[in-house]
Amino acid sequence: MRRRNKVLLVLLTIFGAIQFIQPARNRNGQASPTDITRVYVVPASVQAVLKKACYDCHSNNTRYPWYSIIQPGAWWMASHIKKGKQDLNFSAFGGYSDRRQQSKLKSIANSITDGAMPLSSYSFLHRGLSEDEKEILVNWARKITDSLQAIN
Amino acid sequence: MHVKEKIMKNILFGLAVSTIFIAACNNGTDSTSQSKKTDSSISPARTEPGTKDPGVSVSTKATPVKEIVGSYLQLKNAFTRDNDKEAAAAGNAMVQAFGKFNKASLTSEQSKTYTDIEDDAKEHAEHISKNAGNIKHQREHFEMLSKDIYQLVKTFGSGQELYYDHCPMYNDNKGADWISETKEIKNPYLGKSMPGCGVIKEEIKQ
Repeated sequence: MRRRNKVLLVLLTIFGAIQFIQPARNRNGQASPTDITRVYVVPASVQAVLKKACYDCHSNNTRYPWYSIIQPGAWWMASHIKKGKQDLNFSAFGGYSDRRQQSKLKSIANSITDGAMPLSSYSFLHRGLSEDEKEILVNWARKITDSLQAIN
Repeated sequence: MHVKEKIMKNILFGLAVSTIFIAACNNGTDSTSQSKKTDSSISPARTEPGTKDPGVSVSTKATPVKEIVGSYLQLKNAFTRDNDKEAAAAGNAMVQAFGKFNKASLTSEQSKTYTDIEDDAKEHAEHISKNAGNIKHQREHFEMLSKDIYQLVKTFGSGQELYYDHCPMYNDNKGADWISETKEIKNPYLGKSMPGCGVIKEEIKQ
């Protein structure tokens, strides 16, 4: 019994201590000059979907839920955001080459229709996207890709 | 004492739940990094059958993008056989080929084109190398990659006779293109299910 208490105490101390180690927050707050809305027409309906289920990991501004401050979950979240932004960052979209922008838009449509995005863990913790919302996003991405291909 | 124990129990339960939750998440990332490891361990062995492929190693004219094109053809041939693991290995070979590329000999205009293509193509190759087990996703990237490699070949020469082929059926009849070293159509998008589907769009001379 005493031994168990000791183990518990150690675990609790570790748990308590890591609360003070917090990863940097992904919150820029400023409108980026390379934001996707500056380079392409993003209708309000599309913007709403992007904000709801994409920007948290794919932009410079994450909406942090209250529990996001609890460690080690915060680390887990930070790693997702880092990886997400590496693959696609809507705040830096204008900085990509034309070729890359086209690939990204195609991949957006693909990953939504394949169900690869939003991640199931994200959809579980937040509300996922409805079929209508998915369609809005996919159609928008495809429309831009088609218009870009027509130019080239 | 009784109350204290109850609180302790609750905390213990909370900790256990969060540990399980975190362990589950970590497992996810572990398995992907593991598959990445196996990919790279496969690659040296896998390059052998690729180079043995007739046509892949046949080259008469020198081109700076020879190795990149070689890895592309290896990738394409893996897809014609529906082989996701070989495709991943070829994707990895392509990433390495891009890494070894020497830009020093290029003019500034060429260098700009190259960088633009590499920027995009390398990312596709990386995705393909990391997605053994998901051939559908690999093929999506292969479609975009094919466009890049076509531009690369058009800019820097092919080093061998190549064919730019078109498959009208892929992706709900949206169609897709690929580059082949053989005149015979072997469809990398539909693989074994429809190997002969496609037409030659363009013959790329050396």
